Amino acid sequence: MGNDPLLRGVRGERHLLLGNEAIVRGALEAGVHMITCYPGTPSSEVPDTFLRLGGEGRYRLEYSINEKVALEVGAGAALAGAMCLVTMKHVGLNVAADPLFTSVYTGLPGGLVLLTADDPGCHSSQNEQDNRHYARFASLPCFEPASAQEAKEMTREAFRLARELQQPVMLRTTTRVSHMRGPVDFDDLPAPQPKVAFQRDPGRFVPVPAVARKRHPALLANMEKARQIAENSRFNVAREPAGGSATRIGIIASGVARNYLADALAGGGWEDRARVLELGMTWPLPRDLISDFLQKCDRVLVLEEGADLLEESVRALAQRRGINVRIEGKDEDLTEQGEYSTTLVMRRLAVWLNCPCPAKPARPVEPDLPGRPPNLCAGCSHRAVYYAVRHVFGDEAIYSSDIGCYTLGLLPPLRVADFLVCMGSSVSAGSGFARASGKPVVGFIGDSTFFHSGMTGLVNAVFNRHNLLLVILDNGTTAMTGHQPNPGMQQDMLGATSVHMDMETVVRGLGVTECARVRAFNLKSVIRALESMKDKPGVRVLIAEEPCALYARRRLKKSQPRVAEVARQGEEALRCLEQLACPAFYRRGDNLAVDETLCSGCMICLQIAPTAFKAKKR
Amino acid sequence: MKAHDKQKRMRIYFTGVGGQGTLTATTLLARTALQAGLDVVAGEVHGMAQRGGVVESVLLLGGWRSPKLDFGEADVLLGFEPLETLRGLPYLRPGGAVFSSSDPLPPVSVALGQAAYPDLALIEEKARQVAGQSRFIPCRELGIRAGSAQSGNTVLLGALCASGVLPFGVDALEAAIRIFLPPRLQESNLQALELGKAALGV
Repeated sequence: MGNDPLLRGVRGERHLLLGNEAIVRGALEAGVHMITCYPGTPSSEVPDTFLRLGGEGRYRLEYSINEKVALEVGAGAALAGAMCLVTMKHVGLNVAADPLFTSVYTGLPGGLVLLTADDPGCHSSQNEQDNRHYARFASLPCFEPASAQEAKEMTREAFRLARELQQPVMLRTTTRVSHMRGPVDFDDLPAPQPKVAFQRDPGRFVPVPAVARKRHPALLANMEKARQIAENSRFNVAREPAGGSATRIGIIASGVARNYLADALAGGGWEDRARVLELGMTWPLPRDLISDFLQKCDRVLVLEEGADLLEESVRALAQRRGINVRIEGKDEDLTEQGEYSTTLVMRRLAVWLNCPCPAKPARPVEPDLPGRPPNLCAGCSHRAVYYAVRHVFGDEAIYSSDIGCYTLGLLPPLRVADFLVCMGSSVSAGSGFARASGKPVVGFIGDSTFFHSGMTGLVNAVFNRHNLLLVILDNGTTAMTGHQPNPGMQQDMLGATSVHMDMETVVRGLGVTECARVRAFNLKSVIRALESMKDKPGVRVLIAEEPCALYARRRLKKSQPRVAEVARQGEEALRCLEQLACPAFYRRGDNLAVDETLCSGCMICLQIAPTAFKAKKR
Repeated sequence: MKAHDKQKRMRIYFTGVGGQGTLTATTLLARTALQAGLDVVAGEVHGMAQRGGVVESVLLLGGWRSPKLDFGEADVLLGFEPLETLRGLPYLRPGGAVFSSSDPLPPVSVALGQAAYPDLALIEEKARQVAGQSRFIPCRELGIRAGSAQSGNTVLLGALCASGVLPFGVDALEAAIRIFLPPRLQESNLQALELGKAALGV
C-alpha cells in the first residue's frame, strides 16, 4: 500500500479514518519504532493496519503469542530505548498484568504506550471489565479519546509523555471509539524518534526488594508530574454555559460519554443550562481543575460508562477539599453495565436540569423474529470435527471450550461447549473438571489460542497426570479476529519475519506421547482417531488440520471446483441437515437444497450421508 | 435540482447481514458526505458479526459526536435485508424514512425450517406504521442486473441520495464512487446507482 495516506499524508490533509487507524497515524506522527500485540476485537485494526502499511522500514511489527509476551517484548525494546506501542483488548491486559505492574516501577526510557481496547456491552467479549481500573491500580497516566481526531492526537501525546516521564502510558479506547469513523486532520510525519541509549543501572532496572522499595517513590513522584500535566492538558476542558448563564449546575464527563453528553445537550437545546468539564486525560486526576469546577457548582452530575471511578473520585475530592456540592452519577438508568447513548443521557439530563425531555418513546422491539446469531461458516472445518466428536462421545463427555470462532460450537445441533473461562482454559479448566468429576472431558482449542496460553496448561496436564482429550482445531490462522499470523500459520504466508512451528512437534516436545494428526475433512480418520483415544487414560492430543474456509478462499486463493448437491431427498438428507446444520443447506418444504454460492465444497455432507448427496462441478 | 441544506443534522442507521457489504456502504456514504463538506461521524461494530450475524452501523451528519444510535434516534433507516429492516425499526424515529431491500436472505433457522420468515407485505406495513416514507426496492436483483449482487447496496444508496432526504444528492455519490472505489468496480456501481434512482421514480 505504497500510496496509503496513513504513510503518505502530510500536514493539512484530512482523511476519514477508523478510530484504530487514527491511533496508527498518531503513533507514526510520534515516531514509533516497534509495535507488539496480540489481536483481539476491538483492538485488532491497529496492528493489522501497521501490517497492511508495511512501514517502509519505519517500524517493526510483531504479532506476539500472547499479551504478556507482547508487553514484555515491548518493555524490553523500550528499555533499549525504542518507542513502543503495545496493543490488546481489555481482557488481554489481565494476561499482561504481571509485566505491567513492575515495569511502572523501573520505568521504560524509550517510551511505551499501552493500548487497551475495552468492550462495554460485550459486543465480542466474555466480560465488560473496565480497564481504567488498571491505570489506577498499576499507576499509568491514562488517555481516553472520544473521536477519531482525538485518537490520533492522544496517541501522540501519550508517546510524548511516555518518553518525557519514562513511564508506560495507557491509551484506553472502547469499542465505539475504536470502530468509529471520523475526519482526522494530519500533522507532519517525522522520521522515527532517536532511540534513548541504554545505561546499565541494576539499581533501577532489576527490581529486587531493595530496588523496588526505592522505585515506588520514584513512580509516585512521576505520577505527580503527570498530574500537573493533566491539570493543564488540552484534553481536559472546562466549558462555561452558553450565553454567559450563571448556572451552578455542572456536568463532568469522560471517555465516549462526552459524545453522548454533547449530543444530548445540543438535542435538548440545553447548552446554557449547565457548565461542563470534559476529561480526556483521565488519570492521574486533575484535582485542582476539578476542584475549581466544583467550586462553581451546587450540584454536579458525573457521566462515565462502566464503573463509577470518576464519580467516587470526585466525591472524595469534594470531601477532602471541603467543597459543598451534591454529586450524582450512577443510578438505575445510568448503570455500570453496558453502554450509554444520547437518548439515555438526554433522559437523565431532563430530570437533572428539570426540563421536559424531547426524546419520544421508541417503537417496541418486534417480538419473535427469527434470530440471526453468528454461526460457523459453511465449509468451516470446526463443524466437521465437532460432528465427529459428537458422533463418538455424544452426551457422555463434558466439553471444555476455548476462545475463538469455535466457541460457536455451543449452538445446537453441535452443542460441544459446556464451559469456558478464558484464553487457554480448555486445557487447564478441562483438566480440573476431569479430576474432580471423574468424567471424560474433551477440550477444544484453536491453533492461535493454543500458542497463546494452551501450552502452559498442557505441560501442567502432563506433569500432574490429568485425564484429558484435547482436540486442537488447527486452521492455520487466527480466524476470529481477522486472520492474523500465529506460529501455526504456514511459512510461505508468514514471510521472512516469522517462523512456522510444527504443531505436533510442539505438542510432543511438551511431553505428550499420545498425539495424532488428522485432516479435519477426512471424517473417517477423525472418527477413527477419536475412537482409538477415547478410552485411554492420561493426556491425549488430536490435531485436526484444515485451513479456515474464509482464509483459504481470501488469502490462500484456493478455489473449490466442486460443490455438493442433493442426490436423493428423504430421511438421510434431512438427518444430515439436522445433525450438521451447515448454513449452505436450506429447506424447501420437505426437500433439502444446497446453496451453491455458500457451499465451499468441504464434502462433509457426502461423507455423513453418501446416498443423499453427491458432488458436482461448480 | 433543489438546494441541499448542508447544516441539516441527520442520523442514519444501517442494518444488514454479515458478508453483504453493509460496512463498505457505510464508509462510502460517509466519504461522500465528507467530500460534500459535511461534518461526519460513523460507527460500526466488528467481530462476531462477520460470521453471518446482523451487521449494524450508523452515520451521523451535520455535527453530531456520538458514533452510536439508540432506539428512536434515526432519521433514516437503511436496510440491506428486509428482516433486518423489520428488526431495526425501533431505531427509527416516528416519521423518519425507510429505504430497504426487498430481497430476503433467510437466517439459518428459517433455512432449516425451524422458523418462518415474516411476510414481506407485513414488513412493509410495519415500516409504514412508523415511517413518514418507506421504499422497498429489489436491490439484490437490480444489483445483479448492474453487474454483481454486491452492487445492490449501491442501488439502495442511489435511491436514498435521489430521494432528497439527505443534505446532498446523487451527484455527490457519483463523484465519491469515482474517487473512492477501485476502477474495476466503478462501472457496475454507477450503473447500480442509476437503477436505484430509477427504482425511486426520480
